Amino acid sequence: MAGGIELDIRVVPPREKHPTIFRTFDTLGPGEAFTLINDHDPFPLRHQFEATRAGQFAWTYVESGPAVWRVLIQKNKS
Amino acid sequence: MGLSLSTSAVPELSLEAFETECRGRGLDGMELVLPRGASLEALLDEAKEAGARILALRAEAIDRESAPALARAARSLGVPVSVPAGAEVLGELGALAPIFEREDAKLLLARGSDLEGMVELCAAIRIADGGTSLGVAWEVMPSSEKLDDASAVLFTAREFLGLVRLHGGGPEQRDQDGLGVGQVLVDLALSQFQGPIVLQPSSSEALPRWAKWLSSRRSAGCGTKAEAELLELDVRDVEPRDRLGTILGAYASLGRGKTMKLTVDHDPSCMYYTLQANEPEGSFSFQTLEHGPEVWKAEVTKL
Repeated sequence: MAGGIELDIRVVPPREKHPTIFRTFDTLGPGEAFTLINDHDPFPLRHQFEATRAGQFAWTYVESGPAVWRVLIQKNKS
Repeated sequence: MGLSLSTSAVPELSLEAFETECRGRGLDGMELVLPRGASLEALLDEAKEAGARILALRAEAIDRESAPALARAARSLGVPVSVPAGAEVLGELGALAPIFEREDAKLLLARGSDLEGMVELCAAIRIADGGTSLGVAWEVMPSSEKLDDASAVLFTAREFLGLVRLHGGGPEQRDQDGLGVGQVLVDLALSQFQGPIVLQPSSSEALPRWAKWLSSRRSAGCGTKAEAELLELDVRDVEPRDRLGTILGAYASLGRGKTMKLTVDHDPSCMYYTLQANEPEGSFSFQTLEHGPEVWKAEVTKL
């Protein structure tokens, strides 16, 4: 998605990774999305999203490794 | 957005070896640092032969004599050149801008996170050519410079911003905890920055760790035999991407009724949610014993 929001989490210190991702998500308006870029499958994060923001997001893998993962995380409209 | 590594991180590697390691690490390319006095053409030939994916060029100095060759190199690769925005360079912008404009290439002037300095630089760019062939390379140096004004610096520079150079990341991530890198990345994402981010060591002392980091690729995978007996698991030195595998591997090898003590340097709730999603309900208990800010400790018991 050209011109979109891309968050490359690979360079962020471990302890700040998830807070950084949630801060970005929480800033989005309804219907907006960002692409998360990571060096491993961020599925634990997805579980955390499910637990803390259930029904508020859509999770789409754009690229699945082996070295880079890209996930489009969209904030639902309602 | 491309994440790339500066060749200054492991200067002893050939471009071919550097390219191979970058691919193994999942990096999108490299910043090619042009050594002073070296033959530019020979270096570009080597890069071409190595199949190097070059996302940016870096020169430590530029003047009217060296500028045309740099501008041509930038055009032939279709990437910008960054140089430190020293006083001498700023005094020459009026002469340098047309040289790059002729080649339809971009010269990026590099500055740190000092707000006044960035305001001054952007004003100079605006006067010299309005940003046609000049732009900004933002040097983000969490280990040596406070990032308190980073949001304002980005706001000031964003219309001219072509490159971010992060002095750190890679093997230095853990050292840069709490220094503002996360917020810089949030700000860059929300400003829809698409240009490359270049990683480079924060100091020459860090060089050996970068060489090790680049060649290590993947560290230990999941649960080894040793971990089956080892009920205390400290994953702070495990690469972030291998952590969950290590923990789940250790959990899998845990006998029923046994407890595993986890030490991590971030909030382990994601581990909890992952276990909750993957393991049968009521098959484990998870208790966080220490809640940071430096260290988190948790106990996981297989029931």
